Amino acid sequence: MLQEEVRLNSSFASRRGFWLFPLLVVGAGLLATALAAELTAGVPYREVLLGLHFSFLFYGLFTGGLAFFGSDFLERIFGHYALVTSLPETQPLSYRRVMGIFFSKELLFYALFTFAPLTLGALLGTSWSFIAPERMLRLIASLLPSFCAGLAGAFLVASLYRRSLYAAVAGGGTLLLMLGALLAGDGLPQLAWYLDGSPPLPLGWGLALLPALAAALLVGEFHEQALPPVQGYREQYRETLVSSEWSRRWAVPAVVAKERLDLQRSRTGIKMVFSFAVPLMMLVFVNWFLDRGLPLEVEFNTIFWGVMVGFFGTMLYSWLNTMDDSSFYATLPLQVPDLVRARLVLFGTVTWWIPALFMGLIALLSRELRLLPLAIFVMVAVGLYIVSYTAWITGLRTNSSLYDATIFARFFLVSVPPMVLLAILSMALEQALPVVMVALSFTCLVLLLATQLFYGRIEHRWAGEEFD
Amino acid sequence: MLGPNGAGKTTLLKVLTGQIRATSGEAEVLGLPVAQQPLEVRSRAGIVPEQSTPPSFLTPREVLELVVAVRGCEVDVEWWLEFFKFEEAEGRICRTLSRGQRQKVLLAAAFIAQPEVLFLDEPFINLDPLVQAKVRDWLGKYVAGGGTVFLNTHMLENAERLCNRAAIIHRGRIRSLIELEQLRSQGTTLEALFHEMVA
Repeated sequence: MLQEEVRLNSSFASRRGFWLFPLLVVGAGLLATALAAELTAGVPYREVLLGLHFSFLFYGLFTGGLAFFGSDFLERIFGHYALVTSLPETQPLSYRRVMGIFFSKELLFYALFTFAPLTLGALLGTSWSFIAPERMLRLIASLLPSFCAGLAGAFLVASLYRRSLYAAVAGGGTLLLMLGALLAGDGLPQLAWYLDGSPPLPLGWGLALLPALAAALLVGEFHEQALPPVQGYREQYRETLVSSEWSRRWAVPAVVAKERLDLQRSRTGIKMVFSFAVPLMMLVFVNWFLDRGLPLEVEFNTIFWGVMVGFFGTMLYSWLNTMDDSSFYATLPLQVPDLVRARLVLFGTVTWWIPALFMGLIALLSRELRLLPLAIFVMVAVGLYIVSYTAWITGLRTNSSLYDATIFARFFLVSVPPMVLLAILSMALEQALPVVMVALSFTCLVLLLATQLFYGRIEHRWAGEEFD
Repeated sequence: MLGPNGAGKTTLLKVLTGQIRATSGEAEVLGLPVAQQPLEVRSRAGIVPEQSTPPSFLTPREVLELVVAVRGCEVDVEWWLEFFKFEEAEGRICRTLSRGQRQKVLLAAAFIAQPEVLFLDEPFINLDPLVQAKVRDWLGKYVAGGGTVFLNTHMLENAERLCNRAAIIHRGRIRSLIELEQLRSQGTTLEALFHEMVA
């Protein structure tokens, strides 16, 4: 399985891009350690550590989530993929055993791929930091169980989801309650071990591994349905085609109609909502962390959230690219840009309800409904900018392309500066309203002009490329 | 086009239909340069790729309607649904169909626009003998009506029954190009020639 994981990940991007990732982690570990004093100035020590443990818990959840959607994702991107996890279908192996091995492989892979280079970078960084190397080693040893807990939690939810959605929701809720109880009590055992040497580290590991054990025990056996269910109705495609005719100016309506049905029937919309909720929750956590830790109060208003939600538009486009294997299009008089444009049309129309819904909720909860129209304008400008750039540089392979360190670096350079500028402007809104409004509008206008430029280049970049 | 596994049959078919670019040389189909005009070639050709699947979330009917809409042709979708006996698959998305049924969807999608040329990569794979015979009959009529079929196959028996000319490819090179009539007059078979060229 380890061999399979390495080959699979290196097939997402170029081999060079794949092996550059640990180097990036070494650099990040080095910088974070060297700048630790500046980064954490004014924040209580315990809060910093808690934040770190939560970050690794979320990282574990995220990687576990990838494994959760993994087979669907691979099948839809590349067609059928025979992975070792499908062995129980043909060999005398139980799903329970395969799940246990799969979890161990994930833990080992990320320990080698992320934690080993992180440790190396952090140890190098201690030369310029107040943190002693042996304390750094102890800290990383305490972070690994937090990552493991996130990974195991995701596996448990995935395992329960195979039984039913309700079981998954109940399992996820129970895990959150357990985490809450831990925090309300003595805190995370691994964090306490790092700080005071007690309780022993194996207790942290035991608690972290418990959900993984439950996942393997509860996974159950699966059998395909004997008779596949009927979906949709006889005239559905033709009706969808008629109602997609308006898009003819930008895309091929027949393709837009097909993609709309894919979106509906693959239930990608539900995954989109979840993928929006997780990073937004992380931002809420960061907000809470800054509010508690920093001496000055940083207030994130609705405009700020508009910038963030617009930025997450990349995820929507990325999900649209995972709905189905697109190789069938190669048999028709169509080219890759036709499909990219159809998905951009879908992003700009059908999936906008997701960010709009989140924006409405944020404005309502922050009691800033007066800022909602401007926030939506900012969200639309940022969303169109970032998604058209994503479409230009990644085409139909957004997820896998962003694994390539060189493409990721370009994406970072184009996306982060305008986001930071808009975020700063949003925070200065109350100080100089007219000036900030003009600056926000001007920045959004520039982003929209850049959108036009990126959109125009899609044809040239992808016209000769293959669908599969 | 005959050849052992990995000889280059599928690669050649993909080059001829503009699905991949040739690393060297030029390809022409119906007088059109494929590298420069892949869309024109694909609009005049029907393609059944090897190891491909029709759109996962559309029903067979919807796949054919998609093809008709993209190609802008006016044909009777019902006739093709009946030809391949898709009544039982009505309302069921391709993802849930058997491999044989999915192969029938791909064949129908290639045939429906009645293109000038058909590129078929192992078209009989997963088909039951009755459907194979039906497809062979239809292809015979299609060729008699002026159509051209470019067929990649391992099934020498099908090639003998269907083709006028056969080429044998091995390690990326055409080793033999022969009229089957000529082969028969020499008292030999395609299988014997295949063994001679490849062994």
